[in-house]
Amino acid sequence: MPKKVAIIGIGITPFKARYLDKTYFELAYDATKLAFEDANKNGAEITHKNLQSTVYGIYNELFERQFMPDIFINSYLGMNNKSGTRIATGGATGGYTVRMAYAEVASGISDLSLCLGVEKCNDCYDEQTGTTTPEVLNAIAYSADMTYEYPMGMMAASSYVTMVNAHFEEFGNPTEEQMALVSVKNHGNAINNPKAQSPMKITVEDVMNSRIICYPFKMLDCCLYSEASAALILANEQKVKELKVENPIWITGVGAANTDCFIGNREDMGRLYSNIYAAKAAYKMAGLDYDKIKDQIDCAELHDAFSGQEVISYEELGFVPFGEGGKWIESGGPFMDGEIPCCPCGGLIGCGHAVGATGIMSTGEAALQLRGDAGKHQLMTIEKGRAISHSIGGPGAAYAAVIVMANEEGVKKP
Amino acid sequence: MSEKFEDHQIRDKIQIDYKYTMGGQSKFFIELMKNKKLHGTKCTKCGKIWMPPRKNCSECYTPAEWVEISHTGTIEVSTIVWYGAAEFIKNVPYGCGFIKLDGVDTALFQGIFSENLVPSKIKKGRRVRAVFKKPDEREGKMTDFFFVPEDEYEIWANKPEFEGGE
Ligand SMILES: [Zn+2]
Repeated sequence: MPKKVAIIGIGITPFKARYLDKTYFELAYDATKLAFEDANKNGAEITHKNLQSTVYGIYNELFERQFMPDIFINSYLGMNNKSGTRIATGGATGGYTVRMAYAEVASGISDLSLCLGVEKCNDCYDEQTGTTTPEVLNAIAYSADMTYEYPMGMMAASSYVTMVNAHFEEFGNPTEEQMALVSVKNHGNAINNPKAQSPMKITVEDVMNSRIICYPFKMLDCCLYSEASAALILANEQKVKELKVENPIWITGVGAANTDCFIGNREDMGRLYSNIYAAKAAYKMAGLDYDKIKDQIDCAELHDAFSGQEVISYEELGFVPFGEGGKWIESGGPFMDGEIPCCPCGGLIGCGHAVGATGIMSTGEAALQLRGDAGKHQLMTIEKGRAISHSIGGPGAAYAAVIVMANEEGVKKP
Repeated sequence: MSEKFEDHQIRDKIQIDYKYTMGGQSKFFIELMKNKKLHGTKCTKCGKIWMPPRKNCSECYTPAEWVEISHTGTIEVSTIVWYGAAEFIKNVPYGCGFIKLDGVDTALFQGIFSENLVPSKIKKGRRVRAVFKKPDEREGKMTDFFFVPEDEYEIWANKPEFEGGE
């Protein structure tokens, strides 16, 4: 029987374009310290000495300019002589890291674990343009198959846009305006998140008029790359009692799936089966229904690397039937006062995308919502006491992970 | 008393040279480079044709054998890239997408060139045909060829730097 696992500490650094005053291991230290402060706010005295293992989420060696960056973080965090394992699953690194840290505690091989994500991309620098982004994109582009796809210009945007364009061919949506609504929503939500990189009050027209990146994605349809770290402290039920944790958020479902990384091998290019299988597995474990999930959760932190792909995720995660994602955002479904608020923190588009940290930040953010501790972007209605976080990544978004969380202690009125 | 922070940045570059083997897929690249032929593989059990080729069928765990593939196919999905990695910024805008070559079960990612590069010209369902670099320019790499809309084939095949397949 797996042990029950709770999130008892959450630490998220600000998401910023560039930290000139911190290295990746210094950022990791900051998030870890914030997670201890959160876990100890009611008088517990957890330190790194109490942690039995760490699972690290770090996507890209070329960003960190270091192979095995986890072992250098392990040293800086004072975590020597304990297990430390790194997960690297592209944009889904965070979600997969939560899943593996969950597994360590649920299995009983650790009672108290750290789940830590960090990424620092903007040390990459393109000397020709004197900017960071083209070189950051180069370091990411090596995620595509290096022989058959990379040489012809397969990149993050041209890979993700494929699913969205194929979906459009099948269903006639999402339209460019429907996609733009995701950008309006997520940049807008970020205004109330002091840790967000891109808070902006914008209109659909602003998005439509922003420069074209990869047809039909425009600049404001895309997330920005960020530097940040996020940490969660996970504990089993016995530790939760011992430490007298007042607001544990239980991880009740974890699901992950890898679909074919060669998009051309997929029978249906307009659908991300990784999302569908990950969601179904996570919901099933949590005792929820894929077909009724809309009535069973309060909110969702989604992986909105690109606006159009958030729209198709509504369908793949079971919020609405296939082909109705575009209509759902037009009707306000994923907005803060909608049926399932999606990305209350601003998501990747509003808060930022610090790859290894992102899915851990979104899991932490969903947990904060359930605790009623999200601050200015706290939702007014948390009734079911359940939320999900969602991560995707890799070539053609082949990796996906979904985490279901629950507040079983009763919801504090925000 | 807090000291004013001053950052220090170090310029650096990581570079590794390779001469890597394509192993069981080598024939695809040799035929492409020498003979302008496209070779896929056909599973000896289920008959599925793989492109890019794989010497073993991932569904049946059975060997797959080489088969010559048509130079024509249909666009499944495409895009036009206007901004990107440092490596490709010099090429923008460029078209690319997944092409199902006639008779093949999977779709191949490739560049899609057009005299009039607009989304409608390279959209789903458009027929395309392969155009190749000249023999002394071909290196046995995916960049040895690209696709063009069938109605532009003669234009592209007659450009001095390219040639059609036979
Ligand atoms: Zn087979």
